[in-house]
Amino acid sequence: MAGARLGFIGLGAMGRPMALHLLRAGHEVAVWARRPQSAQPLLDAGAVSCATPADVGRRAEIVFTVVTAGADVERVVLGPDGLSDGFAPGSVLVDMSTIAPGTARGIAQRLAERGVEMLDAPVSGGETGAIAATLAIMAGGKAAVLERVRPLFALLGKSVVHVGDNGAGQVAKACNQMIMVGCIQAVAEALHLAQAAGADPAKVRQALAGGSAGSRVLEVFGGRMVERDFAAGVEARLHHKDYGILMREACRLGVPLPVSGQVWQQLNALMAQGWGREDTASLLRVLE
Amino acid sequence: MKIGFIGLGIMGRPMALNLLKGGHEVTVWARRAESMQPLLDAGAQGVSSPAEVARAVDVAISMVADAPDVEQVMLGEQGVVAAHKPDLVAVDMSTILPAAARDIAARLAEKCVDFLDAPVSGGEVGAVAGTLSIMVGGSEAAFAKAKPAFECMGKNIVHVGDAGAGQVAKAANQIVTGVGVLTVAEALNFAAKNGVDPAKVREALLGGFAYSKILENHGQRMLDRNFKPGFKSWMHQKDMNIVMQSAHELGLCLPVSAATAQMFNAMVGAGLGEEDSIAVLKLLERLSGGEG
Repeated sequence: MAGARLGFIGLGAMGRPMALHLLRAGHEVAVWARRPQSAQPLLDAGAVSCATPADVGRRAEIVFTVVTAGADVERVVLGPDGLSDGFAPGSVLVDMSTIAPGTARGIAQRLAERGVEMLDAPVSGGETGAIAATLAIMAGGKAAVLERVRPLFALLGKSVVHVGDNGAGQVAKACNQMIMVGCIQAVAEALHLAQAAGADPAKVRQALAGGSAGSRVLEVFGGRMVERDFAAGVEARLHHKDYGILMREACRLGVPLPVSGQVWQQLNALMAQGWGREDTASLLRVLE
Repeated sequence: MKIGFIGLGIMGRPMALNLLKGGHEVTVWARRAESMQPLLDAGAQGVSSPAEVARAVDVAISMVADAPDVEQVMLGEQGVVAAHKPDLVAVDMSTILPAAARDIAARLAEKCVDFLDAPVSGGEVGAVAGTLSIMVGGSEAAFAKAKPAFECMGKNIVHVGDAGAGQVAKAANQIVTGVGVLTVAEALNFAAKNGVDPAKVREALLGGFAYSKILENHGQRMLDRNFKPGFKSWMHQKDMNIVMQSAHELGLCLPVSAATAQMFNAMVGAGLGEEDSIAVLKLLERLSGGEG
């Protein structure tokens, strides 16, 4: 696939490098950003500037959105001058934000009424993964739509899993966040115990890395804790937001999540300390 | 006084009956017509919408399940705002998110309706006996006007603060009762699994610092294995969700409430949602290798 007419909305830390990958592969990319200065690096690289999301929808056959919350996706897609106003039947929305599964299903349904397809395709891998095009992509929606978008996903990530129908990608992402932040908390507790017991946390981390407790989180977040480098990385407020989503889902379904319930409280404490815009490795500082 | 009552379920029905017994003129509306019958038999006036209730009364009370229901009966097309006397005081006695109560109060204020959030504690028993605890948020003037109505339904009536303050007090109440029920269930299960008679343990504890109304009343019902609601677990789950959502928004660390909320999630998932919240004992028994 070359020279496809694409759209991209949400040019933050994640969206910007992703949109650049699409541009560099020779596709036409129409962009809209709430703050015009966010779009500048893309325009410099040859993207087309649009005045509204609806304009993006008119110009593009496949539009990617990477924004913060469910309400942002709803506004950009279904709000006044939203994508939906510009979409021709047969267009595809690929929402790569992390939002509630129920919200994703609702948007898909509204778009289906207008003959527009949707994939929910949240990602894991952070800014580093977005820049290196090594994201893990978890897709929910029709298989045929995924096949249409797959060549584009190949430009953004190295693993694409079709999890199920609309909403299933968001369910997988919620599970991803649950395991990852739970792990960060476990690493923080372990290093905190090591420190209190008079052992060098850096050595403990190094020793653990080779064994059964070794993990990506121990490596990356454990590393930041040892270095006491709490600059984001991943802004903790985003993980806090994701926990709100998944704990509401657990309540709705009557599913007990005893450990996640406790991790959520540690994230609340982190937010109360005003560390929401710093890295989630700050869970160590909550314990201290 | 002319009082309206909207929502005639387990709690609302006896509360409205107590208003009638107190000598007030009561106008009622409920989604299902058959819920209204016991009130009509007792002398209440039945009408066909919340708006018609509001037209007829000085104080309009709602007792429904959740925030969307309150919004519907207060602010919907056929809601209280659609037709009301000047100086109407609208009172919601349901348990909803404090932020939702504040929002409803502000939107009603735009239509010149004074609003009180006045959730209750005491369950069906308290509603029937007219001994509810009522926690009220809103203006002093509105509180004074609605107070005679509250006095027919409850004993301990506290004006906690401004709009939403009643719901904050109720959320705090649900923390203490939710955690309390779980604690008593854990203690009695602990005794039983240690081969000690839980009835004797309860009796021994009643005299000391572990005494509480929950140990006394809920503890007895656990020993009797009387899991009939009372207060259904799915409703306590809903209330704990309100607590945890508020904590999320404010950045509050509530580790014990969080553990309790997860147990209520497990109860609903295990099919115990329609039983009294003391059925958490069954869940603990199952988790401890018993039958439950």
